[in-house]
Amino acid sequence: MPDERDPFLARSLQFLQANLRQAGPAATASYSLIGAIVLLGGAGHLVDRWQGTDPWGLLAGLLIGLVVGFYELAKAVWRP
Amino acid sequence: MNMLQPDHAEPTAHGADHAEGGFDAGETIIGHVANSSFEHPILHLPVVFGIDFSITKHVFMLLLVATVVFLGVTLTVRRYLRQDRLVPAGFMNALEFVVEFIRDSIVLPNVGAKYVRTWAPLVLTFFCFILAANVAGLIPMFEVVGLIDHYVLHTGEHSVIKNMIHGGPTATANFNVTAALATITFIAIIVAGTLAHGFIQHWINLVPHGLAWPLYILLIPIEVMGMFVKPFALTMRLAANMTGGHIAILAILSFVFLFNEIFSSALAGIGVGVLVSVPLSVGIYALEIIVVLVQAYVFTLLSAVFIGMAINVHH
Repeated sequence: MPDERDPFLARSLQFLQANLRQAGPAATASYSLIGAIVLLGGAGHLVDRWQGTDPWGLLAGLLIGLVVGFYELAKAVWRP
Repeated sequence: MNMLQPDHAEPTAHGADHAEGGFDAGETIIGHVANSSFEHPILHLPVVFGIDFSITKHVFMLLLVATVVFLGVTLTVRRYLRQDRLVPAGFMNALEFVVEFIRDSIVLPNVGAKYVRTWAPLVLTFFCFILAANVAGLIPMFEVVGLIDHYVLHTGEHSVIKNMIHGGPTATANFNVTAALATITFIAIIVAGTLAHGFIQHWINLVPHGLAWPLYILLIPIEVMGMFVKPFALTMRLAANMTGGHIAILAILSFVFLFNEIFSSALAGIGVGVLVSVPLSVGIYALEIIVVLVQAYVFTLLSAVFIGMAINVHH
């Protein structure tokens, strides 16, 4: 923990560093969740455009995206 | 997303509001954000293997930023090392703070003490380059060049300077640039896992071990997709953030021309500009300065976290 005798700026920076250190897993979790849904939803949409299977590729992509996203989220959150 | 692709961005940048069809806000905004078109590159280069190597605005900005960062950092460090007493001063002070900050609060907690010296240089390079590219997009240098050209130089329609003005100045607002950066992270994750555990063991580490075998049929595809999701999230976030802020500023500024046209009086446009557009866009610009820092930071943080996940495997 920061030392009370430290000047104000150095103490603030130490608190900032401590916060940032803890922010890593949270940032990972949120971005992988969104990223998975957008990436696989987009891939599903491309399959639709390619094969002409209009809503189904997108729906399947979104569903798989949700699964992958939540799997990544769980992994990031439960990482010891 | 289609509208962000460079081939839709006709170089109407500065002439759009004078076009006979009236002011087209969308066209003008995209012209100021997207890459300049292949028809008017800054420097024509030959097509090799079907790839046009011409230097467009974003490529020019990439080269410019890379040169500035490389020279700025190496010259500062060399001058510092030549001193008798190793006391940092001026820019070196800031540089040392950034290096220590990235190493101690981003790389070290994620990657671990054993591999800090291996991965801190890569993460630092990411940070300096992305920050410099983001900041370069906020500095209105080409607008100044355009003003000088308009009032002093009067160069021709297809001169280098005229071509330079077209297109957005933020290289990191281009999805191709951020995708390339994320690809480096993607390769770094594999290299980190291989260095720490060996090539075969890295891939085995991807899935948790000790589960019933039917679960692996589910988990292996999920893990493979997850492998691509991480760099994709990096790509989209950086590019979308850098594009979004600029579009917001330009949209608010285009009120001036829209009101000018609707009421067909310059006074309405100027009034909206003074009362609404300029104060609002100054506010968003201030926000952009924070966004620029945060996005460079988040990219490096997530890269470090992903590299660390490949090294410190927990199940």
